[in-house]
Amino acid sequence: MTTKTLGGLSPVVSLTIGVATMVAALGFALVVGETRIPLDVIWNVLRFEFGFMAPKVNPIDHGILWSYRLPRAIVAMACGMSLALSGVVLQALLRNPLSDPYILGLSAGASTGAVAVAILGFGAGALTLSGGAFIGAMLAFGFVAWLARLARGNSGTATSSLALLLAGVAGAQLFHALTALIIAKSADANQARGIMFWMMGNLSGSRWPDVYLAVPIALAGAGVIFAHFRALDAMTFGREAAQTMGIRTGLVMAVLLSVTALLTAVMVSLTGAIGFVGLVVPHAMRFLVGVRHVRLIPATALAGGIFLILADIGARVLIPGQTLPIGVVTALVGAPTFAVILVRSSRAHSG
Amino acid sequence: MAQDFPLTIENCGHEITFEAPPASVVSIGQATSEALYFLGLGDKLAGTAVWFTDVLPQFAEVNAKVERLADNTPSFEAVVNKHPGLVTSQYEWYVGPKGSVGTREQFHDLSVPTYIWPADCVGKDNSVGVDGTREELISTEVIYRGLIELSQIFGVPEKGQTAVAELKTREVAAIDRAKALGLQDTSALFWFSSAKMDADPYVAGEKGAPGFMMKQLGIENVVQSSEEWPTVGWETIAKADPTYIVLADLQRRKFPADAIEVKQEFLQTDPVASHMDAVKAGRVIVLDAHAMDSTIRTISGLELLANIMEQQAATQ
Amino acid sequence: MHIQVDNVSKTIQGKPILRDVSFTIESGQSLALIGPNGSGKSTLLRAIAGLLPIERGAVTIDGERVDKLSPRKLAQRLGFVTQEAGTTDAIQVMEAVKLGRTPWLSFAAPFGHRDQQIVEKAMREMAISDDGHKFFNALSGGEKQRVHIARVLSQTPEVFLLDEPTNHLDIRHQIAIIDWIKHQDATVVLALHDLNHAFACDRVAVLDGGTLAAFGSPEEVLVASVIEPIFQVALHRNSAEHIGHPVLTFAKSKVA
Repeated sequence: MTTKTLGGLSPVVSLTIGVATMVAALGFALVVGETRIPLDVIWNVLRFEFGFMAPKVNPIDHGILWSYRLPRAIVAMACGMSLALSGVVLQALLRNPLSDPYILGLSAGASTGAVAVAILGFGAGALTLSGGAFIGAMLAFGFVAWLARLARGNSGTATSSLALLLAGVAGAQLFHALTALIIAKSADANQARGIMFWMMGNLSGSRWPDVYLAVPIALAGAGVIFAHFRALDAMTFGREAAQTMGIRTGLVMAVLLSVTALLTAVMVSLTGAIGFVGLVVPHAMRFLVGVRHVRLIPATALAGGIFLILADIGARVLIPGQTLPIGVVTALVGAPTFAVILVRSSRAHSG
Repeated sequence: MAQDFPLTIENCGHEITFEAPPASVVSIGQATSEALYFLGLGDKLAGTAVWFTDVLPQFAEVNAKVERLADNTPSFEAVVNKHPGLVTSQYEWYVGPKGSVGTREQFHDLSVPTYIWPADCVGKDNSVGVDGTREELISTEVIYRGLIELSQIFGVPEKGQTAVAELKTREVAAIDRAKALGLQDTSALFWFSSAKMDADPYVAGEKGAPGFMMKQLGIENVVQSSEEWPTVGWETIAKADPTYIVLADLQRRKFPADAIEVKQEFLQTDPVASHMDAVKAGRVIVLDAHAMDSTIRTISGLELLANIMEQQAATQ
Repeated sequence: MHIQVDNVSKTIQGKPILRDVSFTIESGQSLALIGPNGSGKSTLLRAIAGLLPIERGAVTIDGERVDKLSPRKLAQRLGFVTQEAGTTDAIQVMEAVKLGRTPWLSFAAPFGHRDQQIVEKAMREMAISDDGHKFFNALSGGEKQRVHIARVLSQTPEVFLLDEPTNHLDIRHQIAIIDWIKHQDATVVLALHDLNHAFACDRVAVLDGGTLAAFGSPEEVLVASVIEPIFQVALHRNSAEHIGHPVLTFAKSKVA
């Protein structure tokens, strides 16, 4: 076959390696954290939780491992997976390699929803920050979709991706402005700071209920996206070409855009807006496994999960005694990586 | 004693000169408002803004006669409209290089002098860290300095001296009581609030008022950051196992963790925090949030802590 | 594949682009669509391809209406080579051609040996067999066009639609494509700019302002009385026995 594969490995082998790496990353997240917990304690907690006999462990250590570190790592995995997959889908559908999950206004809307709850008091205490963020994100997406429809008018196919991109920019700017307005008008010093820290991405506070929400949604979303791998390949030469290959592009776009909006809105509402994952991981995976989505989708999902687990560990241990916002870590890794990929791939495939 | 005029005061990087005591003042920030009431200057107040909690009961009557321009950030025009002879601000956040009401120059251009509560700029770099980073440990000296300077500005330096003397006596008394307990290996955590319920909380750093209070009382702060209110993970806090946990009592209800009941419920139900010694033994103290800022309330905060520590020691 | 175009009309944003266009193409015939800019050639092609909905009229292929067929079934019978379909993806030539098999693949029928054979044959026909590993974006305009045609060939349709396939190609590649059209057994409809290329086709349709101004064999249609008023040029037919058909040359219109 002519396509690149990761060192020429068969799909089954690559998949196994990918999943094994993911499990190893989860293990790493259990072992490494803000404070030191000895390995035998970790082992005992795991044995206990999986139903085996094990010596009693200090309840604080037990709680840290099982109620803090493990759910946090799993949420990081689900979030990384979802963001990376959203990036892959949007880059394919919008024909724009710079697309990231927030390009349709989702993170801007989430911020507005969050500050509306936290600063304006929307929802009168019944709504949490996360709830407000989710609603804000979906509202922004709805607004962008509606705006794109208007902009597209009757001309049909070729301009719809462009219309979406432009509407996304407009929508994001609008919601950013709303957020800034709310903060400027009504926040006191402490609140503004609290919101901004959250908006930069924050996995602290992830507990098992968050896992029960994030993981099924991430897996379901991944399933739907993978089922469309041929349609995503067909979009290579644009929407019209895909139609001539028999793809119902209108339906496919509606389904996939909705799925990515949902995935992104859920993740952003749980963890804030973590950048660079949705942008860089797809490109890195294209560089390693090629552009065919049958490989790219699973590779991106695994890589995104692993990346965010490791980034979260980094955010907690890079500076002793302090937690960096995770968006800083993903940017510190993502930006140079993106630059390297850019240079290497332009050398690889231009004339 | 009377005050000599003209009076020049160095305040947060500006030299302000007064030819005569100002006829009126607008106070932005509960700390400076209450400081002015404490100095008996309530009748000089043309307006107040930014209130975190209810005014201290002993000032309720005089405060009722003063116009409240805004519970939160007032507009520049609303302040200037009062034609004040002076504008005081608790934080540079409100009146300062990036002030949300305006810059100091904006006021000075209109011949309105500004005075920033010294606690916000002495030994602190407001450009680093979201709430500013303290370079040196704060002490009550900055609170006293604020009271003294305000009384000088208004030409009644004797009121400042009296007020400071009273507070100093109480401060020393509280510290002595704490020292008398002979506590060793005692540590504490001050929990202000959290943006999201289970997420990393905002806790007091080394060098703000809570840090000062702990040092004076011979208590170690489990948090070792120079930021005024850093976020620290519950994992780190739990492993540090503080002897006392102090919860901020806020009136604001914007973050779920603002409410005392919510903070207490977290401590009782969180799988890690509920196992902390301080929680199991009931060594959780509720303290007025405003006492955690460097204001006149800090002294009563100190007294309250000393009281509770005495009670605790008695029951051991 | 017998294509029937009946009274096709299409309005875009209030402007009528196609008005009552009707003609028939017999199985195995090739049809050249010519007309001045804005005459509706691209729109007509897209309407035939089922890419654009039409207000009135119908396009049928072997009696089945194009808009009633599922996109997949339609793609199995009809292939469309658009103008300048580019990509930002780093896709290799072989993968690009393999995309043509999309309408035939499913979870139950994944890409297999037979599909590979079809793809390789298409690449041989377009003389790009040795270029499989190259990246699409590294190719010249003519080579890219051949990749697209190979892709549509591997779609194994019965009808080919091509929208100005000779644009931006050098002479060698233009001649190669025209030659391929002449020897095609399938039904071909292509929009053309260069009127001389129309002689390669069995039929020529002239569009003028959205209406069908003329339809017939190249000898019948490519004459001064038809071409001059529509294109507003002066036409001269020069005989060229070695080619087998007249060579058209043009000059500024004598009429004001």
